[in-house]
Amino acid sequence: MLRPVKMSRVVVAGSKNVISPVVEKLHELCLLHIVNYNGSQPQFEMGKPIGKAKEYSEDLIKLRSVTRYLELNKKFPDKAYPESQVLSEMDNLLNNVGADVTATYERIVAIDAEVKSKQDQIRALTPLAVLPLPLESYYGYDSLATFVGTAASPVDADVARVSPVNEIYSGSAKNATFVAVFVPADKAGEVSSVLSEHGFSEMSVPRLEGNVDSAIATLEGSIKSLEGEKVPLQKKLVDMKKQYEDLMLATDEYLSMQTHKTEAPLRFAETANAFVIDGYVPADQFGRLKSELESAAGGKLEVSLIADNEADELAEKGEDIPTQMDNPSLVKPYELVTRMFAIPEYKEFDPSLLIFVFFPIMFGMILGDIGYGVMAFLTMVLLKKKFKTPGWQQLINVVLISSVWAVIFGIFFGEIFGPLGLWSKVMGHLPEHEIEAVKAAGLYFGEGVFGSLGRIGFWPGIDIFPLDRLASNAVLLLIGTSVIIGIIHCSVGSILGIKTELAYGEKKHAYFEKLPVLLIQVFFGLLVLGLVIGQMMLVIASAIVIVVAMVMLVMGPEGPMGLAHMPFYVSNLISYLRLLAIGLASVGLAFAANQLAFYVVMPMLSGGATNSAEFTIPAIIAGLVVLFAVHFINFLLGILSPFMHPLRLHYVEMFTKFYSNHGGGVEYSPFGHVRRFLKA
Amino acid sequence: MAVVADAGTLYGLLAVGAGLATGLAGIGAGMGEQGIGAAVVGVVAEEPGFLGKGLFLMLLPETLIIFGLAVSLILMFAWTPFSGIVTP
Repeated sequence: MLRPVKMSRVVVAGSKNVISPVVEKLHELCLLHIVNYNGSQPQFEMGKPIGKAKEYSEDLIKLRSVTRYLELNKKFPDKAYPESQVLSEMDNLLNNVGADVTATYERIVAIDAEVKSKQDQIRALTPLAVLPLPLESYYGYDSLATFVGTAASPVDADVARVSPVNEIYSGSAKNATFVAVFVPADKAGEVSSVLSEHGFSEMSVPRLEGNVDSAIATLEGSIKSLEGEKVPLQKKLVDMKKQYEDLMLATDEYLSMQTHKTEAPLRFAETANAFVIDGYVPADQFGRLKSELESAAGGKLEVSLIADNEADELAEKGEDIPTQMDNPSLVKPYELVTRMFAIPEYKEFDPSLLIFVFFPIMFGMILGDIGYGVMAFLTMVLLKKKFKTPGWQQLINVVLISSVWAVIFGIFFGEIFGPLGLWSKVMGHLPEHEIEAVKAAGLYFGEGVFGSLGRIGFWPGIDIFPLDRLASNAVLLLIGTSVIIGIIHCSVGSILGIKTELAYGEKKHAYFEKLPVLLIQVFFGLLVLGLVIGQMMLVIASAIVIVVAMVMLVMGPEGPMGLAHMPFYVSNLISYLRLLAIGLASVGLAFAANQLAFYVVMPMLSGGATNSAEFTIPAIIAGLVVLFAVHFINFLLGILSPFMHPLRLHYVEMFTKFYSNHGGGVEYSPFGHVRRFLKA
Repeated sequence: MAVVADAGTLYGLLAVGAGLATGLAGIGAGMGEQGIGAAVVGVVAEEPGFLGKGLFLMLLPETLIIFGLAVSLILMFAWTPFSGIVTP
């Protein structure tokens, strides 16, 4: 479980005559992680695509353009199609439906363009309404030059100076003066320079006829009819999307599979008559791969296993052995957390199981509230129905399992939407004489621990007394608990680090870099414990071990520089205080919400009433609104922080002790396809 | 001139110290995070798959607040020289 699946290095060699059935079989088996041939051997060349590779990819491109017009996205399949149905409907889909979609889409684009150009014309026409001229009089002259535009000051006098023969119309609208100047063509240059002195800027006049208002009305009418034409077209696209969505995605899948298969030989090595495939297969699947492939090829094929030591040599030369994480289904979701950091190398540990153990406990310890835990659980159950892609499902399962722990810790902390909130109303307070009894039994830990809160009796004699996290003794207890969790967490990381280094044959790194860190962590914890309980012998012994460990670090591969990491390891342990700290923040907010609603808002709005029976209805409603708002915010934060911070504790504090010192691994991705829209 | 502080004053100073420890650490962490946050948003815009790693990078400076908080907690709850005075 902590180790990836054992892989075997295999070589498949066969006659080119059987390449198609072999590829088909490989694809169906979905077992072999192919190592791409890099062309390094002179006697082999890279393979060429087989069969109808070109047609499949052309069809795929055609289909993809149609799906883009329909705005199809990858989604969870509603139904799966048999391959025969996809094949029989593909021609119709690609040609008739495809052409229809394309034509409809292009028409919509054309309409949009036309509407836009008409809107531009309307924008250009609107100012002309202030000039008393029909539109046809602005253009079509041989001997006249026309200037239409806005001017900053009256132009009449100056234009008349350079061109005595002229016609000038002007009008103003929206703080601008519009002028239309008509002069003989041979005066155009001079008039233009005169106009520019008046801040003239020219406008283009659309080549239309009639008066401006009626032209605008005509344009608006045609825009309306174009928009009217567009609506049914858009509806048609939506309908077609609904009708063909699954079939199109199934066809996409079919064509992708086919191109994948026909282009597979590009990854093989070939000679004139034979082909060779290098790859990895899970060790226990080798027999199956061999027999299936050999029977598919009718004996014209050899599947051989490469001995482990030779495979190691290949790995040393830079070939990546693929990693397939191997975890029971309960732990599977936590592979997501591992993957987000890095895929472990083949020889490294797969930390998913450790994350499964530690992550939910940390999440629970931070959130630690029955109310929030149950809400998180229900929210995740709802989301699980909504988001069905594997990534989301994994993420949701991670939080789902964690929220169970939040409820468990909620029982220990005695919190239902905050401490002393609903809890004391539900469970009541512990009577004074029982506190005395607990004290007499030597179980009394101090105020707030087995304090005034109620208790859950499971069966006579064994009760759970909740811990009030805001009480000072509880804070001290939780500081200790957090650091102890940190020491255990980091130590597990260090132990894995030692084993990883040994697996890579790096003894010096294992014993003089990782081992001292393990010692420092454990004995730092014992040293602090010794100080707290006042056992000086323990303190001295721990200090001696820490000094020895520091000497070992100096002797290690980094020399005295190794000591420079010491503050990092100690601060790693202190970092676990966030388990307490973030929890406290969340409790604090929940506590504040309850106080605010029941002891501030409700009494104040009821005119200073002190008894809950005197609260007025509006005051109760306002109080409840405040209560829900603050609790809702706290709930959102309460999902985010308890998720992110344990994640960080794993990535920074734990993983750095053992993980990915040698670079990330390659995930096992066998040649084949997981069918989603197609029936097998 | 001798300054005589009563228990209340000492407790008040302790609380102020604890507040400063957490508050200043928070400001420091915030300043650290602003640069990382901006860079992460930039990267995520280019490559959405980086979100997980980016969020985690954002959390790195938050350790600083935890240190500040640890000091506050020690001041408030575990500082034995004053604990005798502190009990009201």
